[in-house]
Amino acid sequence: MDPATTPLGQMLLDEITPVVMLLSTPSVEQSCLKNGLSFLQTLRPFCSFNNIDVPVRTASDQPYRLHKFKLRLFYASDVRKPDLMVAKEQLKQVITEAGDKMFSDSRSDVPKINHELSSSEHQNTPSWFQFLNKELVRVASFSDHEAFDHPVICLLAVSSKDEQPINRFIDLFNANKLPSLLNDGAMDPKISKHYLLVHDNQDGPTDRASKIFTEMRNAFGTIDCSLLCINSSLDAPIKHQDNPWALYITDASPTPSQDLACFLNIDDINEIKNLMQDLSSKHIIPNMEQKIRVLNQQVSATRKGFKNQIKNLWWRKGKEDGADSLNGPTYNFNSIESQIRVLGDYAFMLRDYELALSNYRLISTDYKIDKAWKRYAGVQEMMGLTYFMLDQSRKEAEYCMENAFTTYLKLGSFGQLNATRCGLWWIEMLKARDEYKEAATVYFRICGEDILHSAVMLEQASYCYLLSKPSMLRKYGFHLVLSGEQYKKCDQIKHAIRTYKSALSVFRGTTWGYINDHVHFHIGQWYASLGMYDVAVKHMMEILACSHQSKTTQELFLGDFLQIVEKNGRTFEVTKLQLPVINISSLKVVFEDYRTFGTPSAVNTKEVSWRSLEEEMLPSFSAAKTNWLELQSKLISKKDIQSNVCVAGEAVNVSFEFKNPLLISIPISGVTLVCKYSASTDEVKSNENESSLEKDDEADLFRNRSNDNSSFLVSEVDFLLGGGETTMIQLSVTPRAEGILEIHGVKWKLSGKIVGFHNFELSLPNRNAGKGRRKTKHLQNEKFKFMVIKSIPKLQGSIHPLPEKAYAGDLRQLVLELRNPSEFPVKNLKMKISHPRFLIIGKQENIRSEFPACLRKKTDSVQCDADSNIMSDTVFLFPEGTSVQGETPLLWPLWFRAAVPGDISLYMSIYYEMVDVSSVIRYRTLRLHYNVQVLPSLDVSFQTSPSQLRLQEFLVRMDIVNKTNSESFQVYQLSSVGHHWEISLLQPPDTIFPSQSLMAGQAISCFFTLKKSRKFSALEDNVSTLPVRSDVRLVPQSSDDLVYDINIAPLINFHHYERLQQEVSYKGDFNAVDFVLISRPFKSNNDPGFSDPPHLMSHHACHFSIASTGPISWLIDGPQTLHHDFSASFCEISLKMHLYNSSGATAFVRIDTLDSAGNGGHNSNINVAQTTTPDNQAGWHDITPANNELKVTSPKFLENQPVKALSLESVSPYIWSGSSSTHLHVEAMSLAEIPLQICVFSPGTYDLSNYVLNWRLPSNGLGDSDETRQHSGKCQGYKHYLTVLQST
Amino acid sequence: MIVCVAVVGHQNNPLYIQSFTEADDALKLHHIVHCSLDVVDERVNNPKKSGPMLNETFLGLLYPIENYKVYGYLTNTKVKFILVTTDLDVKDADVRNFFRRFHAAYVDAVSNPFHVPGKKITSRTFAERVSTIVKSFGFSSAG
Repeated sequence: MDPATTPLGQMLLDEITPVVMLLSTPSVEQSCLKNGLSFLQTLRPFCSFNNIDVPVRTASDQPYRLHKFKLRLFYASDVRKPDLMVAKEQLKQVITEAGDKMFSDSRSDVPKINHELSSSEHQNTPSWFQFLNKELVRVASFSDHEAFDHPVICLLAVSSKDEQPINRFIDLFNANKLPSLLNDGAMDPKISKHYLLVHDNQDGPTDRASKIFTEMRNAFGTIDCSLLCINSSLDAPIKHQDNPWALYITDASPTPSQDLACFLNIDDINEIKNLMQDLSSKHIIPNMEQKIRVLNQQVSATRKGFKNQIKNLWWRKGKEDGADSLNGPTYNFNSIESQIRVLGDYAFMLRDYELALSNYRLISTDYKIDKAWKRYAGVQEMMGLTYFMLDQSRKEAEYCMENAFTTYLKLGSFGQLNATRCGLWWIEMLKARDEYKEAATVYFRICGEDILHSAVMLEQASYCYLLSKPSMLRKYGFHLVLSGEQYKKCDQIKHAIRTYKSALSVFRGTTWGYINDHVHFHIGQWYASLGMYDVAVKHMMEILACSHQSKTTQELFLGDFLQIVEKNGRTFEVTKLQLPVINISSLKVVFEDYRTFGTPSAVNTKEVSWRSLEEEMLPSFSAAKTNWLELQSKLISKKDIQSNVCVAGEAVNVSFEFKNPLLISIPISGVTLVCKYSASTDEVKSNENESSLEKDDEADLFRNRSNDNSSFLVSEVDFLLGGGETTMIQLSVTPRAEGILEIHGVKWKLSGKIVGFHNFELSLPNRNAGKGRRKTKHLQNEKFKFMVIKSIPKLQGSIHPLPEKAYAGDLRQLVLELRNPSEFPVKNLKMKISHPRFLIIGKQENIRSEFPACLRKKTDSVQCDADSNIMSDTVFLFPEGTSVQGETPLLWPLWFRAAVPGDISLYMSIYYEMVDVSSVIRYRTLRLHYNVQVLPSLDVSFQTSPSQLRLQEFLVRMDIVNKTNSESFQVYQLSSVGHHWEISLLQPPDTIFPSQSLMAGQAISCFFTLKKSRKFSALEDNVSTLPVRSDVRLVPQSSDDLVYDINIAPLINFHHYERLQQEVSYKGDFNAVDFVLISRPFKSNNDPGFSDPPHLMSHHACHFSIASTGPISWLIDGPQTLHHDFSASFCEISLKMHLYNSSGATAFVRIDTLDSAGNGGHNSNINVAQTTTPDNQAGWHDITPANNELKVTSPKFLENQPVKALSLESVSPYIWSGSSSTHLHVEAMSLAEIPLQICVFSPGTYDLSNYVLNWRLPSNGLGDSDETRQHSGKCQGYKHYLTVLQST
Repeated sequence: MIVCVAVVGHQNNPLYIQSFTEADDALKLHHIVHCSLDVVDERVNNPKKSGPMLNETFLGLLYPIENYKVYGYLTNTKVKFILVTTDLDVKDADVRNFFRRFHAAYVDAVSNPFHVPGKKITSRTFAERVSTIVKSFGFSSAG
């Protein structure tokens, strides 16, 4: 790349050019001012030459050509170091102006993230940087340590109007007017001069001018004089189309640019052009050439060559003890050092960079040794630039620049300006080589103590980071923030805002919360300080939900935010208020169309479960549809079918969560729904278009909506949301008339100052998209759109007093109360309950009966029929003609029984139809939902086993455990339900329950016998008879309570459901028996936790099969003791075996008697245990004999008690006489008898269990497929002890 | 003394950032850590420098600023660990050792089945462990 085409190259070619010192008389200026220009300004456009093509020959003999050249013009008074304070003020002015301008430009548009790196520097960086940098470079000019600002020529201009022009020329170049540079010896005062006579053609003809010009020529020489005639356009002002001056007049001048130079015609312009070109090519360049040559000769004479170098070194060393001032020794213009520097600079200006470089190098070591740091730095700087222009040795160039920069910095504030200039050049150099990152660090280093200065530099640094490849966005952001801070410090708020806003583009969308908050907060604050509260609020809103910040910070943020809002005066209404956070996923809309909800919890139940419950009650879908279609055509257009239906006067509830992310509590007030009501469907259409247009400004949309609430009522909620709290808010809107109601969103007021809106629809697109099918956007809104139809009756229902907690088995009478507040009647009521096991519907007459007395068995009770209709039908139809209207509620009894422990949800649905057929909704359902917690109470289990003493008699063991914590119960009654079985006590109740109650945690067992009911023995063949019920009271007779009749509703109904529930496989088994235990809480002990203690509890245990050991039961009947004289003969004893077949089919039985001697005694017990069906506990049998004996005891038997205690060892062999195997058929439900005989040979006690009984049922008999039922079996004989004594 | 340690996720989202100074300079340290990510990116994406240390997790001194030194460490899952210290003469070995222990602590923390990957590390155990490591770093460099 050609260095000259780079920005730095351009800058150097522009800035490091020969300086022309201008001296003019006031009359010259006066003439020029006619054109609105000073003399300098008049000349300036013609100072740069693009194609002069001047041959130049400097030190070397080889000439080269210059094509472009430029001069810098300065008035002599300006040839001095610029005033720092003025310059600073000027810079500040520039920055402020730029700030205002940029600010107004960028106010509206949000800064875009320019991640794409295509943008070049000019597109990205603000243009005023260039200007500013130029100014900064200019501030450092006319320093005495460098020579390129030294005027090369002096241009003296005198007007032809002036008196004694020749003298004026001499006066002009008067020593006391000259700049200090020339006076204090820093530069050669013998500057070459050029004399210019300016003639104003408006003042008259050129005669006088030419006369004076001739005089001048005589006085100063022909070559150095020239004449310039201006203002040739005498009358009409000229409008220059492309005004060459316009570019240079940047200040806001009173005259518009077209009026500039209005008296200069084309001849004048050409004349000026020629003048300047002649000046440069004929005077300046040759002058410089000559000076270069002269100086070069001097330098080579004194400094070049080995001898001179040694000498120089020696001489310098001697000077070392000299003044060690900061600036080093002062050098006169005629000192060799200055001359070398001038030589270098001149060469540089004439673009002989090789020559310049060699001289700079030469002088640089000298200055270093002399510790003339400023000059050294200046030379280093120039060396760097020369290297750059030569485009060689980048490293050297950068090294030199760095060296110069650090050296300047070391000088402190003294070298600050130069350091800045040097830094800027260095940066440009780095930028030209695409080393933006390094450039950024240099910018960072330029930052001096001046805050404004450093702010600008930091901002520039940030742009460098952006431009570097790969772009370092984070550093970009960071430096912008730093720069913004600095801007803020020096009150350049607008710049601060601008930088912060650009920084936002980096931080936005990241999770760096602290930084984001900082940036937004400050932007907000600054905007507020500028009075732009609306923008301020917008930024402050971003940081409100700062849950990661500390509490104090949160308070600060919120406080400032509210303060800004307050300052603004009017109440803000914004759509994106983050405080509090709305959990939109918790949003729930509850409205009642044909479905109505009686309890709040009913709403939360899934629609599916309601549907399945109501399935049978509702009119079938197709039927409903035909009805609907008929109505639709008249009443509603097709479009509205899609929207939800709600009824006028009935509230639509919307609930959702408000969450406070902060640690501090925030007051929320006036939370309401924002709704829109329109009376007819046509209006909606027009409004929809309108709303789509308005969508850009949602807040406005909300504002419009919030006012017209005459046709609906909205609820309003105020609350204080504590730190970190989440609150469920329920809002409602109640339409008053028919039409269309749309819910748009929610509105609330934060701290009473700012109103927030939240639009429901817009935040839901994903959700709806997930559901599919809903393709058009229009449909998304349907969720919140309701068609309001005219008011129709709505039943209100409740059940009381439904307990929240109940013990298992608790039986209660409840009342369902239905009310219809509207004046229209309803008809055709139906009801369904989800858990008939827990809740059944009573009869109307029950409502008056007293509970639990109504359950008592009446003495004159007739065996009433079970309510077969309830058992079969799950939908309860209220009697025909039942209608609910007006004040009087419909009361209906319900029976509740807590069947099993656990948390039970009871669902009820009541269906009713409108009497008024014209309504859109013809029927409605009232849904009720209750939760009941059922606690465990008594745990009852039963065991049955056949009695071994009598056929068809069973022993029942009941185990009761009180599982409650504190409650004690009175076990009141045990009833058995089964075909021809009745239960009776084995012990008097007093012995079972001495304290009459069962304490908490107490367990008890008691025994009963189950006998064949004699009452119904005649009906044995009739299998279809109803089950027999028998009751046993378990409380002492003294109590006056009667026995509860389990055969009447609701006990029979609950029993039915229990049977269904507990049913396993023994369906239709006549031997099955059910037990119902009725208990009552013991009166003395009431748990305060239960407001309503239970009155009656029932426990149902169903399907205990009597025939658990098989269908065949048998008993050996024979003498227990007998005397025999063994001396005479062995003893033959006849026995009888009674067999009973309890199954419904004929059984084949075979009895095998075994004679093997060893097979007696001990083993038999085990065998018995093994052959019994597994559902009987082993060891159970060991106890039964004892109990049996107690029960069937006879006085005679008791005498023989001790005999029983004989040990088994005394068993001696016996033999079965008669057949060893007997076959027989036992008819169903019948008895059979087999004679058996044994022979014993000696006295002793014998265990007659040495036989096996095989039985078989016809497998195809009943055809039932129950796998669990046995079809054949083999049983060991029971123990039967026989004692034979020697008769005396 | 270690001023700040940070864990930054592979999407350059802060997972854990903890300063160990008394002063209220959280914002500054956030900025420093955030900026250092640029340098990490540069180190990682620059093929010239990553040649010999392709598998090296320790990124070395990222950049010196004012009175801090920032060190970086990159795990295989592109999670970055940043260490900001005021010690101006720190031995590389010390820093390496620190990062190794820090990495182990991090691995343990994210192995918690209740930790959601990509979310901030809120484990108190991790915080305690990190502060122990930080304290021990101060000792080893001092002694």
